[in-house]
Amino acid sequence: MSSIQINNVTKRFGDFTAVEDLSLDIEEGEFVALLGPSGCGKTTTMNMIAGIEDISEGSILFDGQDLSSTRIQDRNIGFVFQNYAIFTHLSVYRNLSYGLEVKKINKSEVDSRVRAMADRMSITHRLEQPASSLSVNEMQKLAIGRSAIVEPRIFLLDEPLSNLDAGFRAYMRAELKVLQHEFGQTMIYVTHDQIEAMSLADKIAIIDQGKLMQYGSPLDIYNSPDNRFVANFIGSPGMNLIDGKLREEKSQLKLMVHGGAEIPLKGQVKSNFTSDGSVHSGSFGIRPQDIYFGDKRSSNDIEMKGIVDVLERVGPKRIVHLQVSETNFIAFDDQDQLKLGEKVSFFLPSEKSMAFDEVSGRRLGVI
Amino acid sequence: MKVSPSSLVLKYFFVLFASAIVLYPLIWMVTMAFKPYPEWTTVAGLTWLPKNPTWQNFEFIFFGEAKGLVVSLDRTITGPFIASLVTSICGTIIAVVAGTLSSYACVRFGLAKTLPLSVLQLRLFPPLAVMIPVMVMWAFLGAVDTWWGLSLIYGIVTLPFAFWLMKTFFDEVPIEIEDAARVAGCSYWRVFYRITLPIVKPGLATCALFVFILNWSDYLLALLLTQKDWVTLPVYMATLTSAMGGQMYGMKAALGVIAAIPPVVFGLMIQKHLVRGLTFGALKQ
Amino acid sequence: MTDITKEPENSTNKQGYWASVARDGKKMGFWFILPTIILLLFIVIFPLFMQLYLSVTWWTPLEGIPWYRAWEVFSWGDNYVYQFTDERVWGALWRTILIMVVAVPAQFFLGMSLAYLFMDNFPGRKIFYSIMLTPMMIVPAVVGLMFYLLFQGTGPINVHLGLPTTFSWLTDVNRAMISVIIADVWQWTPLMFLILLAGMLGVPSDQLMAAKLLGGSNWQNFLKIILPRMKAVIIIALVLRAVECFKIFDLVYIMTKGGPGVQTETISVFLYKMTFGEFEWSYVAALGLTILFVLSILAAKGLAYIAKKDG
Repeated sequence: MSSIQINNVTKRFGDFTAVEDLSLDIEEGEFVALLGPSGCGKTTTMNMIAGIEDISEGSILFDGQDLSSTRIQDRNIGFVFQNYAIFTHLSVYRNLSYGLEVKKINKSEVDSRVRAMADRMSITHRLEQPASSLSVNEMQKLAIGRSAIVEPRIFLLDEPLSNLDAGFRAYMRAELKVLQHEFGQTMIYVTHDQIEAMSLADKIAIIDQGKLMQYGSPLDIYNSPDNRFVANFIGSPGMNLIDGKLREEKSQLKLMVHGGAEIPLKGQVKSNFTSDGSVHSGSFGIRPQDIYFGDKRSSNDIEMKGIVDVLERVGPKRIVHLQVSETNFIAFDDQDQLKLGEKVSFFLPSEKSMAFDEVSGRRLGVI
Repeated sequence: MKVSPSSLVLKYFFVLFASAIVLYPLIWMVTMAFKPYPEWTTVAGLTWLPKNPTWQNFEFIFFGEAKGLVVSLDRTITGPFIASLVTSICGTIIAVVAGTLSSYACVRFGLAKTLPLSVLQLRLFPPLAVMIPVMVMWAFLGAVDTWWGLSLIYGIVTLPFAFWLMKTFFDEVPIEIEDAARVAGCSYWRVFYRITLPIVKPGLATCALFVFILNWSDYLLALLLTQKDWVTLPVYMATLTSAMGGQMYGMKAALGVIAAIPPVVFGLMIQKHLVRGLTFGALKQ
Repeated sequence: MTDITKEPENSTNKQGYWASVARDGKKMGFWFILPTIILLLFIVIFPLFMQLYLSVTWWTPLEGIPWYRAWEVFSWGDNYVYQFTDERVWGALWRTILIMVVAVPAQFFLGMSLAYLFMDNFPGRKIFYSIMLTPMMIVPAVVGLMFYLLFQGTGPINVHLGLPTTFSWLTDVNRAMISVIIADVWQWTPLMFLILLAGMLGVPSDQLMAAKLLGGSNWQNFLKIILPRMKAVIIIALVLRAVECFKIFDLVYIMTKGGPGVQTETISVFLYKMTFGEFEWSYVAALGLTILFVLSILAAKGLAYIAKKDG
C-alpha cells in the first residue's frame, strides 16, 4: 500500500503536450478516479505512474520515493489494461500464476494462492481452460485477479469496465469497491464515464486537455465545481451554461445572452457575478434538476418565460427543452404536465445558480 | 521506460559486431575491385584499402583491355549486362502479368482453388531435378541462348512469388469497394482496371521490383540455357577468363559490385514488404 | 472528376465477345487464369511427361538421335534401380543434408538473437536494420565470388586469422564444407532475422507490458510469452530456409565446383555435373523424378499436419 504524490508532472510527445503541470496527492488506500473526455491525458498520466511512459518534467513519488530509475519489473504495480491483455496462449491457471512463477515461488504455494484467487474471482471452474476461451466478463475478472495475486503496492485500472455489458458493469462496480476495501490497496481508476467515477471513487480528479480541472470528493465536485468545464462535465444531463454580457439596467443587473434572451440576476448569483469588478461577461449555470415550474418559491428566484421545444422521455422522467429567444434551457418535467409548443414560466433558484468567468472559466464568487 | 546504460552499451556492442561481420565480405569485394593486380593476393602484402587505387579493373571489363595490363578480353560487360537487363525485365513482365491476373481471379472469383498451392509447389523442387526436359524442349524449339527463351523460364519460375504477393495485396482491398462499383454499374473488367488496380499500384510496384531482383540474381537457369550471346551478368562474372587465362580477381570483384548493386538498391526500396514476399504472404511487416 | 462507371462517350456500345467477357465474372476469370495455365502446361506439365518418358530410356544428347526417338534405347526401370546403388547419389544427398542440418539451425539461432537485439527501439535501429538485411539481397553468385576471394589461401581470412598461406580452405577435404556453410550462414541469417523479427513484433505489446508489470524479467518474458507465440513464424522460417538450403547450388558451385573431388558436391551440383559433365540426361531425368516424388510426399505430409493443427 502506497501513497502517491504527483508533482508538477508534464508529458510531451514531440510538440504535443499531453499532460501539463499536473499535481495530485493520493493517500494510502484511497480510491481515486481520473475522469475526463477522450484524449485528455488521463491514460498518459496513469502510464507515467506505472512507468510505461517517461515523465518529461516533474516527479511522481511513491511513499516519498522516486521510482523513475527502477525497472518496471521491480515496481510492484498492479495494472489492468483496457483490453485486459490476457495471455491468450496460456491457460487461466498460468495467467494467474505468472506473477508468482517469475518470482520463483515454490509450486505448492503458487497453487494454493492461485486457487484462492480463482475462488475469490469466481473463475475456479475455468482454471484449466485456455484464457482465450473466456467471456469478456470472465476475462475482466481474470485480469484483476492476475494483478491482485502479487499484492502490488498500488492498483491501476485503465477503463476496465468499458467493454462490459451494462448489467455486468453494475455488478463489477460493486465488486471492485469490495475488492478495494478487502485488499486495502490504493487504487487509481481511469474512466470517461462519470457515473462510474462518482459511484466508485473516494476522490475524483477531472482532467481536460492535460490539465487538472478539479480534484475532490464526488459531492464536492458536483456541488461546488471550480470551473465551467467541471460544471458542464459532471451531471447528466449536464448543467445549463448560458453565456452573455452583464448589463446594468435601472439598477437591475441582467445577463444579456447572445441571441436575445435576458436573465435578470438576483440574490446569490447576482453577488457571484459582481464579486469581481473586472468581470463584464460570463456564463450562467443552473442544473436541469434545479429548474422548477409552477409557483415562485422565493423572491430571489428568477422567473423566465419560454416555449416548450422538445420533450424527451428518459426512463421515468421527461426532459424538456425550453426555448427562450435563441437559447435553450434543459429541465425536467416532473409533473408530466407540459405540452409541446406551450408557453410556460419557469424558475431559476438564485441560490443554486452559478456564475462562471467567460475567459478563464472559473467559478465566480467562490473564496 | 528507462533503458539502463549498461544494457544499451551491450546492445550496441553486439549490433556493431554483427554489422562488422555483415560488412566484412562486402567491403573486401568493393576494395578488391579497385585494386591493381599485385594487390589481389597476399603475395604482395594484403591491405584493406588499395595501396594504389585504380580504375583498371572496371576499364578492363568495359573496354576489354586496360593500360598496364597485358591480357585482354573476348567480350566486354555490355553484352551480359544487357542480357541480364532484358531477360530480367521480360521475365518480370511475364510473371507479374500472369501472376496478378490469376491471383485476382482466384481471390475474387474463387476459380482454380488448387492454383495457389500448385504454384507454391513449383518452388519446392531443385531446378535441376526438372530442367532436363526443359533443356531438351528449348533446344528443340531453338530457344537456347535467346532472350525470349530465358525470359520465359524466368517468368514461370518467379510466377509463384508474383501470385502470392499480389494475392496478399488483393486480400487487403475491401470487397465493399468493388461491390459498390458493381452496384453503380461497372463491369467486372472496369472494376478491376479502374478501381482495384489503382489501389494495389504500390503493391504492384513492389511485386515487380521483388520479381526483378529474383530474376536478376539467377545463376543456374542462365547457366543451363545460355551459351554465348545471351549469357547474363552472374554467369559472365563466374566464368570470366581472359584471352590468356589468369586469376582476374579484381575484374571479377568489379563485376560482382556492378551485378550486386541493382538488387540491393531495389531491395532497400521495398524493404517494408520483403517479409511478405519471401514468406509468400504468410507474414507481414 | 470523370465518372468511371459510365462508358466513355465516344465508344460504340460494343456487343462483341470481349464486352461480354468484361461483364461476366466467370468468363473474365477464365481469361485471367489462362496465361498462367498455359505457362504451367507448357513449362511444367508437358515437360514432366517428357521427363518420365526419358527416364525410362538410356537416352543422352550424345546419342545422336533426337529425343522423341528415345524409345529406341528403352531401359525400363534401370535408371531408377541404379539410383539406389549409386554411391555418388547417396553421397550428394548426405552432404546436402549435412549442410542443411548445420547451416539452418545456425542461421536460426543467430537470426533469433539478432531479432531479440532489434526488438526494442534504440537510436540508429533503422540504419543498422538495413545493414543487417543486405547480405540476403546480394546476388548469390556474387556471394559465392566474395567468399571465394575471402577463403583463398592467399586471401584475407588467412591473413586476419594469422594463418599461413598454405592453409587452404576451399581445397581442403574438410574445410571446404565449412567454408560453404559459413558463406550460406552469412547470406541467409538476415532472412531468418527478418522473419523472426516480424514474428516477434507481432506479439501484442500490451501483453508484453502486462508481463513486465507482473515482474517478469526480459528473459522470462521472452521464454514464456514471446517464444510460444512465435511458433507458427518459427516453423515458416525453418521450412522456407530448409527447402532453399536443399536446393543450394550457386554458392557451392562458384566456391568449390563441388570439390575438392566430391567433398562439397550437393544434390544440385551433382545433378549439374551429370548434366553437363557426363551428359547422362536420362539418368538425371530419373533422379529428378525421384526427388520430385519424395519431396512431394514430404510436402503433402507437412500440409496435412498443418491442416490438422488448425482444426
